[in-house]
Amino acid sequence: MTKQPRMGRQAAVDFLMEYLVLFVIVALVIVTAIVEPRFLSAQNFTNLMRQFGPLSFVALGMTFIIVGGFIDLSVPGMISIVAMVTLSLVDVIGELPAMFAGLVLGAALGFVNGTTLMLAGANTQAKALFITFGMSQIYRSLALHLTGGFPMNWGTLFEHPMPVTRALSSGMWGPLSISFWVFLFFLLVLYIFQSKTALGRAITYTGGNLTAAELGGIPTKRVVVFIYTLCGFMVAVGAIVLFSRVSVTVPTVGTFFERDAIMAVVVGGTSLTGGRGNVLRTVMGVSLVILMSNCMNLLGVQTHAQEVVRGAILVLAIWLDHRRHARG
Amino acid sequence: MDNSDVILSVQNVNKSFPGVRALTDACITVRKGTVHGVVGENGAGKSTLMKILSGVHTKDSGTIVFDGQTVENTTPIQSIRSGLSIIYQEFNLVNTLTVGENIFLGRYAEMNGMRNIHKNARELLDSIGSKIDTHKMVSDLSAAEKQMVEISKALSFNSKLIIMDEPSSSLTADELKQLFVLIGDLRKKGVTIIYISHKLDEIFELCDTVTIIRDGKVIDTKPIAELTRNEMIAKMIGREIENEYPERPHAAGETIMNVETINTRKLKNIAFELKKGEILGFVGLVGAGRTEIVRAIYGADKAKELKILINGRKVKIKNPRDGMRAGVGLLPEDRKLEGLVLPFSVQANVIMSSLWRISKFGFVNASKEKEIAERQIKSLSIKAPSPHTKVKTLSGGNQQKCIMGRWLEINPDILILDEPTRGIDVGTKYEIYLLIKRIAENGGSVIMISSELPEVLAMSNRVLTICEGRISGEFNPETDSAHTIMDAAIG
Ligand SMILES: Nc1ncnc2c1ncn2[C@@H]1O[C@H](COP(=O)(O)OP(=O)(O)OP(=O)(O)O)[C@@H](O)[C@H]1O
Ligand SMILES: [Mg+2]
Repeated sequence: MTKQPRMGRQAAVDFLMEYLVLFVIVALVIVTAIVEPRFLSAQNFTNLMRQFGPLSFVALGMTFIIVGGFIDLSVPGMISIVAMVTLSLVDVIGELPAMFAGLVLGAALGFVNGTTLMLAGANTQAKALFITFGMSQIYRSLALHLTGGFPMNWGTLFEHPMPVTRALSSGMWGPLSISFWVFLFFLLVLYIFQSKTALGRAITYTGGNLTAAELGGIPTKRVVVFIYTLCGFMVAVGAIVLFSRVSVTVPTVGTFFERDAIMAVVVGGTSLTGGRGNVLRTVMGVSLVILMSNCMNLLGVQTHAQEVVRGAILVLAIWLDHRRHARG
Repeated sequence: MDNSDVILSVQNVNKSFPGVRALTDACITVRKGTVHGVVGENGAGKSTLMKILSGVHTKDSGTIVFDGQTVENTTPIQSIRSGLSIIYQEFNLVNTLTVGENIFLGRYAEMNGMRNIHKNARELLDSIGSKIDTHKMVSDLSAAEKQMVEISKALSFNSKLIIMDEPSSSLTADELKQLFVLIGDLRKKGVTIIYISHKLDEIFELCDTVTIIRDGKVIDTKPIAELTRNEMIAKMIGREIENEYPERPHAAGETIMNVETINTRKLKNIAFELKKGEILGFVGLVGAGRTEIVRAIYGADKAKELKILINGRKVKIKNPRDGMRAGVGLLPEDRKLEGLVLPFSVQANVIMSSLWRISKFGFVNASKEKEIAERQIKSLSIKAPSPHTKVKTLSGGNQQKCIMGRWLEINPDILILDEPTRGIDVGTKYEIYLLIKRIAENGGSVIMISSELPEVLAMSNRVLTICEGRISGEFNPETDSAHTIMDAAIG
């Protein structure tokens, strides 16, 4: 019969589309390694691991929002406010309590996002887009207001020794950086959460078909508030890792994190339409985004050109997602 | 056979999907200017064949000749432009655009501006006797109006062949009459129609010729005059059935639910009782408020006033979860939009409402999950290659069974079925009637809404007629005539 080879080819194409990002990563590594041997140096490896930090946490949180069929543009505002407030609290209540407060604050901001959306009756991604964009402005202005907008530098500003921040910044445990271990921890927990728990499944149902999930007895409103809270929390983790990394923290420190996180999630193959995707895919997406920057930097690609490539990749990823959908 | 009056000839077409052989050596010859019926059970392959014709799916082998041209790998656009249009079971319109924009979707440039679009759309709609405003949003249209728009769209391409895949499933009796008149007109103009339906009455009334498909094979093609209803059913399902309805149960006991009052913007002082083990039918025109009543009871819509006693106790129902907790289940009217998560598996769809019941400490018990899916697939004989098959690839009847299975697993005291047999074949309908009967005999109560009067009358113990948001009468379908009941429903 003639249909066998065709089905085989179809299956191959599907497989390729499904794991395209993996192939791209491998190709990118090989090409860059050949053109620029520095890429494989131990120093570059450490460098890559460091960059994995803040974005990966934000992207993990964003995964749940997108799988649930929503979107969160308030990330930059949340990062600013969490970073600034946490740093300001260090002198008052000490380093660890300040970090703890930062995490609670992040979750609280996420909760406010989710609740606002539900109160406003925003049940589509488009509405969420606008509302969370507005929230981001509010959070950033608040950050400016609360802290006076002074740039802060934990290395010189504070009397306290900040061991945790230092560890997050440059500490190693075995072959991997401490922040990478923290990342692996969250990855594992969130992976199990999504695939094994009822709430994790409920998120997928909500993203798959909000109306059907609601009528099927899934508490969709609570699910939405939950994913925003979770995202807020993960953003706070990212914010803390972020300020440990940068020398100076200013209120605009979170700029573009929403874009890169959404990009990482979508490039990984999680569908913007909701209901499909997981954190492992996001890891692939983050890896690609980071590798890409790293390679382009090593190869001496100009910043503006890099932006163009980044934009193109995002468009490409959304297009691929669309095709997968059309195909079913 | 004189070839000149053959518009479409399908020879030995085969099509397989992973795990399913959807069509085996299908052959159909359709003559110009006829209405050609296609019948067959759910999953027989009717829609698949039509989707091959319209270029949505590609055939594995076989030949198709349309209007004298051999058709190889066509695309939906090409096939429409060549004069073959299809109106799908689920409409294919963009809700956020106007009627005119939908009719000429993707052809704005060739239409020279919006004014022309609306002008031409007006002419098309007029030509089929429809008065829909071309500036109206599609989301504001009724199912019948959407169908008119689809037909106008087909006509705008000068279609020679229009395929209608279950066009009647969401129409009222009056709208159906209009559709029939329209189809008659089209036939006079020389347009050929392929008409797919599970409602055999329609097939007999409308079609010149009928093709019967079973399990992906064409069983027979005959002029309608040479077939009886029973012969047709026998060919469709491969065996004879004596009755289309089982004998109704008589298991009604004491009152389980007392709806004291429901008031919403549309509903006025709805009050009725439901007995344990009773099958209560709601009869009314589409838009009369039948769906609104049951949605309010289940908590799917907000009501201004909602007073319900279940087992003598007042219940507060604010959302579907409250409804579920109070022991109510709802099989929604539109299974694709409101019932199923189409890209998910059969298993995921069946266990949806049981999610928390099969979880311990928040963790889903994977073996229970599998057990539920397998149990319901077996007991409802859902035709799917595996529990992991996506429901989107199932035929309509099997999709409906997935939602049924979801509720049977929860086993609510009161199960509300809103159009449970829409788009479902005769054989499966009978299975669903038996299911309803079994639920009632086991002490469950059923509220059944259906636009097919014979079905409600044959299954219910008691019938309420709903007219313009009010209950206009209560009848015993075993003693009152269909005529009296319909009169009360029309108001
Ligand atoms: N895209 C697809 N992928 C896999 N299987 C499919 C797909 N589309 C249809 N099928 C399978 O092909 C068979 C025929 O389906 P089809 O939709 O043609 O039935 P039908 O006769 O139109 O039924 P109904 O009356 O319920 O609409 C079914 O077993 C169905 O599950
Ligand atoms: Mg069909």
